[in-house]
Amino acid sequence: VDALVAAEWTRAGVAPAPAVDDATFFRRVTVDVAGTIPRAEDVTAFLIDRAPDKRTRAVEAALASPEYVDHWTDYWDDVLMGAPRGQDVDRDAFRAWLHDEIASGTPWNRFVYDLLTASGQNSAGGARRDARARAETRTDPETGARIHGAVNFTLQYQEAPQDLAGMASRTFLGVQIQCAQCHDHKTEKWTQDDFRRFASTFLRTRIVPVDRGKTMGIRRVELEDLDRPAPRYDKVADLRPIADARPTALDGTDLTTAPNVRAALAGWMTARDREWFARAMVNRMWGHFLGRGFVDPVDDMRPSNPATAEAVLRALAADFVASGFDTKHLIRVITGTAVYQRAASAVDDATAKADPDAHLWERFRMTPLGPDELLRALSRATGLDAIVARAGRPDMEQLRFQLRRRYTFLFDVDEDADRGEYDGTITQALALLNGSLVATGASSLPGSAIAEMLARPSDDATRVQSLFLRILSRPARDTEVSELMATLNDASRPIGAVEPGSRKKGDERIRAPDPLRGLERRAAAARADSRTRAFEDIAWALLNSSEFLFNH
Amino acid sequence: MSPPRLPKSVDAGVPGARGVSRRAALHLGVGGVFGSIASRWLATQSAWGAEAAHTPPSPAKACIVLWLNGGPSHVDTFDPKPGRSGGGPFKAVATRAPGLSLCEHLPRLGDIADRLCVIRGMTSKEGNHQRAQYFVHTGYAPNPTVVHPSIGGWISARLGRPEDELPAFVSIGGPSQGAGFLGVQHGPFVLAKAGAPPADLAPPANVDAARFERRRALLDGFESRFAAQTADPKVDGRRQVYTQTFRLMQSPKTRAFDLADESAATVSSYGDSDFGRGCLLARRLVESGVRCVEVVLDGWDTHQNNFERTKVLMAALDPAFSALLRDLRERSLLGSTLVACMGEFGRTPRINGADGRDHHPQAWSAVLAGGGIRGGIVHGATDADGEQVASAPTRVPDLLATITSQLGIPPDLSLITPIGRPLTVTDGGRAMREILA
Repeated sequence: VDALVAAEWTRAGVAPAPAVDDATFFRRVTVDVAGTIPRAEDVTAFLIDRAPDKRTRAVEAALASPEYVDHWTDYWDDVLMGAPRGQDVDRDAFRAWLHDEIASGTPWNRFVYDLLTASGQNSAGGARRDARARAETRTDPETGARIHGAVNFTLQYQEAPQDLAGMASRTFLGVQIQCAQCHDHKTEKWTQDDFRRFASTFLRTRIVPVDRGKTMGIRRVELEDLDRPAPRYDKVADLRPIADARPTALDGTDLTTAPNVRAALAGWMTARDREWFARAMVNRMWGHFLGRGFVDPVDDMRPSNPATAEAVLRALAADFVASGFDTKHLIRVITGTAVYQRAASAVDDATAKADPDAHLWERFRMTPLGPDELLRALSRATGLDAIVARAGRPDMEQLRFQLRRRYTFLFDVDEDADRGEYDGTITQALALLNGSLVATGASSLPGSAIAEMLARPSDDATRVQSLFLRILSRPARDTEVSELMATLNDASRPIGAVEPGSRKKGDERIRAPDPLRGLERRAAAARADSRTRAFEDIAWALLNSSEFLFNH
Repeated sequence: MSPPRLPKSVDAGVPGARGVSRRAALHLGVGGVFGSIASRWLATQSAWGAEAAHTPPSPAKACIVLWLNGGPSHVDTFDPKPGRSGGGPFKAVATRAPGLSLCEHLPRLGDIADRLCVIRGMTSKEGNHQRAQYFVHTGYAPNPTVVHPSIGGWISARLGRPEDELPAFVSIGGPSQGAGFLGVQHGPFVLAKAGAPPADLAPPANVDAARFERRRALLDGFESRFAAQTADPKVDGRRQVYTQTFRLMQSPKTRAFDLADESAATVSSYGDSDFGRGCLLARRLVESGVRCVEVVLDGWDTHQNNFERTKVLMAALDPAFSALLRDLRERSLLGSTLVACMGEFGRTPRINGADGRDHHPQAWSAVLAGGGIRGGIVHGATDADGEQVASAPTRVPDLLATITSQLGIPPDLSLITPIGRPLTVTDGGRAMREILA
């Protein structure tokens, strides 16, 4: 792979950035593989490790961590579910299924096949707020029936099965067949008939309610295969021509006579010789790790949108198939390349001119942390879990869920497309600058990184070092230490005394309740001395810094 | 039937559809000229610069949308059908505008009906809440290949300036609709409710101005070093968003968010409701330079108990809408501020078994006022029951194109979308010259 990429660099006349340093690599790979930043003690251990294979071992450790499973559960939940729709969709049961599949390392072809053909009961039912706890059991406590969380994927499309066709084609094959939904594709070969025949394969399920009548919360249903399009779709004008079309795969394979059309299509899609299938996943993963896919956006692979470095994509796809669609293997290969291990630093002028947007990955393409990564990284950097626990809030999972709901919307990022520019909003900036999450994390409340640091017998220079290790996952440079020591010494001047009631109540009181607002108030009311306040200020600035908020 | 879009709490709002559609919101493919945020504005101006010289001066500088979420019953509000079997119990009352009668529960609007242009021939095919809300905000039916900008997004991109201290597009009481492929910067700055400053506008209580300055100086040091080390435009882009945010935090114009400056008489003229306070805030924001404000009045999805509920909603709408128009006129802002009042569709003239009315996109009403729109007129008409449009049908893209063209955004203006297709502001909408002053 590296030789093939290097050939592209030579051809384009670009010189790569230098190799990334150890600390940055360790943080980068931990964020990409495990969705959070490394622990400070792990950073230190990694830096003193002299073994030549330590980067490989770091990848292995990340792949084996529980955070890996959590991260990829978040990732696929986001890609496959997005905004959940409908009373029948049990997002938590779906996440439980994802978690199980990712933990057991189900090969990619099997994963997609199971997802597309899942049938059975969607949920253990009950109130939505209890769904997370109920999803843990994987069985219906009333009937003992096994819950198949994957059916929720199909259920979200029950009103618009043609969208499921478009989604599956785009995500698993990289083919934007839905562009031909309304008329023949202008530039590609797809016709509206192609779309209808393909989409027709997704109309062959029906929903049998387990809960009859009005139910509060999630309605329990069973998803069943049918040997013909569900009759209810005949009544929908848009779906009628799709229901009438012969179910056909995208290469023209007629599936009409298959005993189970859905299974036949999933089998066709995930076949070893289905080049699109392996290429789509390799492209997606390359995009995740390198910031831009060979084809960008990652799910729009068509002749008029050709791949950058086609030879690399082809080689990786062949290797992925040969590995038995082993996702962890693919991650090992990608993170092991020299191209993944370039610095995010500036390149020489000729290179910057030849490839201003680094489309050839000659420097590492920075990406902002997504909402889940941001929450996990912030929690690890500040000791938020410990702060919450010490304040007597026992259920960290519940809190994480509330925070996730609160911040996912605010920091929603699109993983699938390359972003050459920063696409943030003022609302996001306000949340980080003034919001309770950073305010609590950067406080000296019991359990916090700052409180812990100040309690240890040490000098201030060492304390600055430990803040850098915790938040930026690297040691501070000498110049940084001396500058911050100046801030600390300057802190003898009183600054930032508490002014009770100086803050007006914002409109947060009428939004979803902020689960950290109480802690934020507690932190604001604490009578911290001026040196402690200076450390809080340093932590605040580090948490608001681009170096923390980007993966670089 | 899907439920109306409004989430219970604004920040639990639902992001757009996945995949292609959402990504379309995230980068503009106009020759890669859109570098940083500041240059985006400039580039946006220059991308449109060629035609700008030929555009006649536009009467309106700002737009306020009163969004009646859920789909108001036209027959019970702006298009009364007294004496018909589905006409309902409300009386129709003549107004000071000849030929325009309104529901008896809109008396204050009746008093200033000479300012209103009531469009009674609205017609659409979108009868599902989400699709219709999208359609009436963007002028396009949802399409999986691209996310279309709302007119607020277009207005922000076209009329907003990098040096503005307040966001160009603000939505009060609901999420409105984002700016699609124009980018999140042009999406609405969302306020859950009028009467309190935006969330997190000020630092926590233990961080006073001096301490915030120290923090900012520390952050600035980290950012400068990191920007120099990486030379990545994203770091600069992020610093620019922070600069804008600091400017907002320190701007005296944020006083606009505080209604305490208003006299009790003014506040009460808008009516004692969140919607009324939202309308008052909309006026204050427009005075402070905000270009597009949407104020949401939710609850019009009256499948049950239509009359009682619609009456309650009119009790909020009538004082708020009329006070807003009076207030704008008294401040000589009505000529330059276009006020539009609409929902996603109308409701069936037929009354259902639950004393309610169901979705009815075939025929409904929208109201425009100010901003160079002729007042005191009715445009278009429905048949005897309000079932179908009988004359001068108005398509949603025409309505939106009329609004944007009054703000200097001509209907034929187009931009290249991320998938390489030029798109006009609305789907083939034409400005309705016949209703201009």
